[in-house]
Amino acid sequence: MTATAPGPRLEAEGLARAFGAHRAVDHVSFTLEPGEVVALLGPNGAGKTTLLRLLSGALRPSEGVVKLDGRALDTRGPEWQSRVGVLSHQGFLYGHLSARENLRFYADLYALDHARERVERGLESVQLTPRADDTVRTYSRGMRQRLALARTLLHDPDVVLLDEPYTGLDAHAAAVLRGVLEALRDGARTVLLVTHNLTEGLALSDRIAIQVRGRWVHEAPARDFDPTTIHERYRQTVEGAGGGAP
Amino acid sequence: MNAYLRQVYAVVRKDLLQELRTRQRVATMGAFAVLVAVLFNYAVDPTIVRIQNIAAGLLWMTLIFAGIMGVGRTFALEAEDGAFQGVLLAPIPRDAIYLGKVISNTVLVTVVVALTVGVFGLFFQLQYGTHPVALALTLFLGVVGFVALATLFGAVTAGTTLGEALLPVLLFPLLVPLVVYGVGATGRLLQNRPLAEVEGNIRILGAFAVACIAIGAVLFRHVVED
Repeated sequence: MTATAPGPRLEAEGLARAFGAHRAVDHVSFTLEPGEVVALLGPNGAGKTTLLRLLSGALRPSEGVVKLDGRALDTRGPEWQSRVGVLSHQGFLYGHLSARENLRFYADLYALDHARERVERGLESVQLTPRADDTVRTYSRGMRQRLALARTLLHDPDVVLLDEPYTGLDAHAAAVLRGVLEALRDGARTVLLVTHNLTEGLALSDRIAIQVRGRWVHEAPARDFDPTTIHERYRQTVEGAGGGAP
Repeated sequence: MNAYLRQVYAVVRKDLLQELRTRQRVATMGAFAVLVAVLFNYAVDPTIVRIQNIAAGLLWMTLIFAGIMGVGRTFALEAEDGAFQGVLLAPIPRDAIYLGKVISNTVLVTVVVALTVGVFGLFFQLQYGTHPVALALTLFLGVVGFVALATLFGAVTAGTTLGEALLPVLLFPLLVPLVVYGVGATGRLLQNRPLAEVEGNIRILGAFAVACIAIGAVLFRHVVED
């Protein structure tokens, strides 16, 4: 991680992406502070994944600018890619390579120092060391997801983008993942967590944002949400913004 | 090792490890080459046609068709679990990815060419001439030029609905110079003609390979990102 600069870590200004006539992301602007964890909620089709793809550099925005520490950067440039980590629906893993080989491959792509130590630390953090030499195709969904998280964090990114990390996980895998995500709240790393799991989102985040039809329609500190009423509040917000069922 | 070479090496190592585990591409290309040799063995009557006269053409056609089957699969293998997207999100120069893929594909196709040459020798009692090093160099430069183009166009067609079916259509017209000079040099070497007669062809094959790699390295970024 790089030293924390004053001001927001990540800024989006008027970020938009259209697919034909459909605006998946519609002029979204926000700031994420260093060390802040923000949970992004929203119904299916709200454009949350598209927003993450824009921030990761997987997609080019139709309009808008993104800044890291106050500087507008190309999301496909080496500085952005070195400082942002992405956990997507797909794990970006090679099934015929072992977990250790996958992480070693990514360590070399990022040209990381002390690659061997980082790989071993990453495997340990997600409790995969005992199966590190097994090919990934023999892994369960939960193990793959944990390995994908280790890959995401391998280069110690300043900004972590997580897209539905709990999808398809059993209780044990979810608990391991929760432990790793809680460890990300180290006061320096900025995390944007897209999730449908309102309870998990609330427990892990400092701030909650709700996206409907490509727009951020609601933002509030997580402490303003009551865990017992969050589902009802979320439903009212989504319906009030013209969104479908969550 | 500097960062760039480390990244190229990472791609080469990953591709070869995958192939070592799956043996998908070498097995497919190798089986195709052997089957073609078997069919030619029955299709060509050695009492009518002197095999040394047509061996170069048969060899190069087999090489190209087998090579397309293997190199065309390069990016299909990357699609699993979105792995190639992960590579593109890493701070690696796109030309480093391309060079890594060209090197790994060259290794695989070279193995298949060696097998093909051996099988042709076995079936047709083919004599390799008095300049085996020049013959090997001719075939190797042909493989590099072919792989450089096929890897680039493999990336182009990977994202299309027609996929691998489109690859030969795009690729074959561009392979004409390679085939003309490659078959010319190989034919003369198999017929024990003087080395001076093929030097020009070998130089052109070398220049073709270098030009294809240079153009591929420049264009690859646009192919995979846009």
